[in-house]
Amino acid sequence: MAGGEAFSSNSPAKPPILGNSSKTINAKLVLLGDMGAGKSSLVLRFVKDQFFDFQESTIGAAFFSRTVGVNDASVKFEIWDTAGQERYHSLAPMYYRGAAAAIIVYDITSTESFERAKKWVEELHKQGNPNLIITLAGNKTDLEDKRKVAAEEARTYAEERRLVFIETSAKTATNVSKLFYEIAKRLPRVQAMQNSATPGMVLVDRSPEETRPASCCS
Amino acid sequence: MYGTQSKRDLALELQSQIPILRPSIHSRRANLTVKFQDLYGFTVEGNVDDVNVLNEVREKVREQGRVWWALEASKGANWYLQPEVSNGIALKSSLKISAVANAITLKRLIRKGIPPVLRPKVWFSLSGAAKKKSTVPESYYNDLIKAVEGKVTAATKQIDHDLPRTFPGHPWLDTPEGHATLRRVLVGYSFRDSDVGYCQGLNYVAALLLLVMKTEEDAFWMLAVLLENVLVNDCYTTNLSGCHVEQRVFKDLLTKKCPRIAAHLEALEFDVSLVATEWFLCLFSKSLPSETTLRVWDILFYEGAKVLFHVALAIFKMKEDELLLTHHVGDVINILQRTTHHLFDPDDLLTVAFDKIGSMTTTTLSKQRKKQEPAVMAELDQRLRRLNSLKVEEDK
Repeated sequence: MAGGEAFSSNSPAKPPILGNSSKTINAKLVLLGDMGAGKSSLVLRFVKDQFFDFQESTIGAAFFSRTVGVNDASVKFEIWDTAGQERYHSLAPMYYRGAAAAIIVYDITSTESFERAKKWVEELHKQGNPNLIITLAGNKTDLEDKRKVAAEEARTYAEERRLVFIETSAKTATNVSKLFYEIAKRLPRVQAMQNSATPGMVLVDRSPEETRPASCCS
Repeated sequence: MYGTQSKRDLALELQSQIPILRPSIHSRRANLTVKFQDLYGFTVEGNVDDVNVLNEVREKVREQGRVWWALEASKGANWYLQPEVSNGIALKSSLKISAVANAITLKRLIRKGIPPVLRPKVWFSLSGAAKKKSTVPESYYNDLIKAVEGKVTAATKQIDHDLPRTFPGHPWLDTPEGHATLRRVLVGYSFRDSDVGYCQGLNYVAALLLLVMKTEEDAFWMLAVLLENVLVNDCYTTNLSGCHVEQRVFKDLLTKKCPRIAAHLEALEFDVSLVATEWFLCLFSKSLPSETTLRVWDILFYEGAKVLFHVALAIFKMKEDELLLTHHVGDVINILQRTTHHLFDPDDLLTVAFDKIGSMTTTTLSKQRKKQEPAVMAELDQRLRRLNSLKVEEDK
């Protein structure tokens, strides 16, 4: 299966994992997006259920992990939260190399950050692994009165580009778990596990569910 | 005039406010995590052992202070400037000998740490900041700040965005006065060097410089000498090419100096730059406890950027056995983070950095950098071309 490099637990080159690893799927995930869009805040909400109005600016990248259960599987997300300033983009390939999923974050109160998000999408389409699950996350829905990017506009764009789309608020925790859950259930290996429950079923490279442009924020 | 007076003695005030920490018997028994402020006002979380280590470090700092005062008393207040004089050929031989002796004493002393009260003075002289400042009119900084007041650029917007996100919660940095002072230093520098402008990471470096130097003008000159003379060029400019070069040099050094760790991490597909990039760009200010960071900077300003390699290698070396047992990238990162956050005794780190890593000369490092530059430029160029080809396709 393509994209297998992202699932380090099952790669034969790796040392065996101790414990009941049979159902734990390691998935590398990277967050990209403009500075101040809320990448670190989304991760912190997801990993520690915390929120700070002023989150320390990330330099290079910060690493987090959290395991979530999806159906019968445990998905351990290994999350790289990257620095947003444009000059740091030259470091990005190091972080998205081998990733199973990417969350591209923009701030719904900033059209500039939405434009930056589009650039990330193009870069990932061109250079990332073709099976990379790309999610577009419009963050800061708690600032509805300052909204500059219409949800419809972003959704249309996401559908054209075959991205998962979701709007979130790290501050109020709206849709944050859902964001990661939507990614987890689209991981090819999670889907393979579900499928293998039916004996004799032939696994295709990508299920229709996975290739279909998805929108989960209606 | 620019808010420098009121915070002039900030570090001293902070020091005097902090009592010697005495963990109670209860917390000792429970091995509780305690929160307290360190020498520079940062909130530290640690256990009772950490508190004890910090108290020992305080005592060592006081001892170092006594050594420095004794030297001042016997050799004169600016004795440490004499090594610079030794560069002059016209000196009498007897003077030269004393200067060389001073240089040896000084290097050893600085590796043991500059007492916090002397840091502003010693850093300013030895780093070359004083010399840099002396080449421009006395009013340079004030004129610069006046000239740029009210101007809005991409850099000033990013600086404004980062001010409340620079060590949030610090008792002075995270106040309106702290934000305003840090802003003037960063904005001033962004106009002095438009190639650098503002690079995230410099906010942490400048903030710590402010806490040490006590006046914003001196902090500004320290930032200038750091970026223009101490560190390799282009660490912070548009595509961080200098930083990419340093990372490649670092990887080669790790392979050479810690081959077992390097091989193990490579098998895990762990790129050391994943963690080391932040170390080099923030000069460890986001990773190490404040006094440990400043001890690294003591050496940085006297011996140069090679200390960054020594320290980065030492962090890996100290945890060699543990690192060799890891199976996952996440475990490697957890070990490294736990290690750096708890390095409260600077000597633990610096002893490994200088006694167990072996020597490196600035000349060898310069050669290594020269060797890596073409590959970095090619890689950055290739990425740029790929991104540009995206645009061309889009326009069709």
